[in-house]
Amino acid sequence: MVVTGESIAFFVLSMMAIGGGMMMISATKVVHMVLSLAFSLLSIAGIYVLLHAEFLAVVQVLIYTGAISILMLFGIMLTKHHVTEEDDQSPRRWHPFLSFLGVGALFAIIMGVIYQTPFANNEEVTQSYSLEALGKAVFKQYVIPFELTSILLLVALVGAVILAKKEADS
Amino acid sequence: MKTLIDFDWTVMAPELTIAGMAALLSVIDLFLHPNKDRRFFMWPTLIAIGTAIGFVATQWGKPAYQILADTYRVDDFAFVFKMILLIGTALVAVISYGAFRREKGFAEGEYYYLLLVALLGGMVMTSSGDLITLFVGLELLSIATYILVGMRKRAITSNEAAWKNVVLGGVASAFILYGMSFLYGLTGSTNLFTMKERLGEALTSGYDLYAWLALFLIVFGFGFKVAVAPFHMWVPDVYQGAPTPITAFLAVISKTAAFALMLRVFLTGFLPLFQGGGGTLVDEETGGRLLLTMAGLSMILGTVIALRQQDAKRLLAYSSIAQAGVILVPMATWGPFLFPSTVYYLVGYLFTTLGAFTVLMLIEGDAGDSKLSSFAGLSRRAPLTAGAMALFLLSLAGIPVTVGFFGKFYILMNAIVTGSPEHWAMYLIAGIMLMTTVASYFYYFGIIRMMYFRPPQRREGLRVPVGAMMVIGIAFIATLGLGLMPQWILGILGNLDWGAALSPVK
Repeated sequence: MVVTGESIAFFVLSMMAIGGGMMMISATKVVHMVLSLAFSLLSIAGIYVLLHAEFLAVVQVLIYTGAISILMLFGIMLTKHHVTEEDDQSPRRWHPFLSFLGVGALFAIIMGVIYQTPFANNEEVTQSYSLEALGKAVFKQYVIPFELTSILLLVALVGAVILAKKEADS
Repeated sequence: MKTLIDFDWTVMAPELTIAGMAALLSVIDLFLHPNKDRRFFMWPTLIAIGTAIGFVATQWGKPAYQILADTYRVDDFAFVFKMILLIGTALVAVISYGAFRREKGFAEGEYYYLLLVALLGGMVMTSSGDLITLFVGLELLSIATYILVGMRKRAITSNEAAWKNVVLGGVASAFILYGMSFLYGLTGSTNLFTMKERLGEALTSGYDLYAWLALFLIVFGFGFKVAVAPFHMWVPDVYQGAPTPITAFLAVISKTAAFALMLRVFLTGFLPLFQGGGGTLVDEETGGRLLLTMAGLSMILGTVIALRQQDAKRLLAYSSIAQAGVILVPMATWGPFLFPSTVYYLVGYLFTTLGAFTVLMLIEGDAGDSKLSSFAGLSRRAPLTAGAMALFLLSLAGIPVTVGFFGKFYILMNAIVTGSPEHWAMYLIAGIMLMTTVASYFYYFGIIRMMYFRPPQRREGLRVPVGAMMVIGIAFIATLGLGLMPQWILGILGNLDWGAALSPVK
């Protein structure tokens, strides 16, 4: 395997993405979780750049790293957050072990499949996947799912409001 | 290439009606006084569903049609499933009328338009040939139901149910998406028909492991969505905690839509993985093995655990797992009556389950809990309701002259026809089905025994609202009528062009 700048960058970025995800799970404070999540998402934006998907990378930084993380931080600031992280004193001690076993098995299967399958080594031309092509795909061929997604977002918003709203009469 | 204007968009009228009414209701909700009773939202909801049923009915007998590379398509398969979903949601809306009066701070306006949006998601899931649209439809249905389940904010069980539903449903969606991404990477297309062709090539050129991995991940996710064992753990808690009309919605509409999605994805996109060596012959050595295992496991687990339940809602939840196993049997065994037997069973399941949950809702409102003992002496307090409930339970158990009996019989015949000494698994699944059916008599008759042979805890009669009475009546007539005259609906189902769903529009 030839070590190029690209492969080094890929390794660093993917380690950062995975590390951010792991930190997010193991962190106990909400603010730390949000920061590690933002870190992870930012690294994914870097991977997009490596894949010549610049537009996607910019959008990733704008929306995920920027907007969503900031929104979460605002949410934390504006709500009560007595994060009383009670220690998991669950009586079932074998739970972590079983989950580890399950996740390990899934990982082994997926890695096994990936390594056993031959992959054609030819380079793909990424120039044709331009912003224009993306726009055409989203607003022409996939206009129906696109519109449905807007209803989906509306529903999620309504749901968040009615589940979080405090009634006037309480 | 055709432009957007060239397509005949009128075929989308049912979906547009539902979406339009949901939007309209959300605006009306905004302008109404906060303290105003929003029960009357049921009427516009019913009108929208009725109009949509009318629009769907106009597609009867018309050839299949697709818009924008199969991202939306209408065919007879979509026609039938949309009818089931629409009728089911209409009945759920009727029993919801006034069901939440005692619930403080219940967002009743939102309830109705979320119900419509969930229905819209289900309808989209039945009529598309593109993975992206199908997945968006699935999420629309799932997210709307996550909210509906958690709407009784003050009930701790409802909160727990919503939480479990969101987390496990989210995991299931992630697995489906992961599987789909492998599939897309392998075939380079999200169109199910293109996928079928390219998957066939991939299988013979050394990429078969990838295809199996994709199928495995997708089966995992679909298993959660249709609630079959071993992916059933969330079902009892969610069914118990959700408001009862929503439990009925989950048990009937969500399940039917998920089955429609499963049928379409497996029988078109994944077809090469289900076909045996002989070309068209389908055997259990391939993808069918996964489905057979799931069907058998859910029938056994659902029945065995239901035997020990003391709570009627949990009992019906486990029974719905067993029923999902039965519905999976035709898909796992294929055979000549795959579509008609599945759809016939689903139609019967729709009416009997909705009827049973309606009675359960009345009992719950009366006694304050859904324990089996709350059914005691129902025959003396409300003889008609008790009689209807007994019929629904007999139908769920599969006793003759009900729709459930004929549905099971049809599925059983279909399984046996496909069996042969080489395909002994088909006989095995038929045997499991028979045995679990017999075992299920025990718990269904447990409720009937309670209703007829135990003294009532209270003297006064059971209050039955008009809406619930109508739903029970409709369900009663359908359960008995379709059981006595199955040929009426089977004639319709037999004449439909099921093949249109499996091939591209010419």
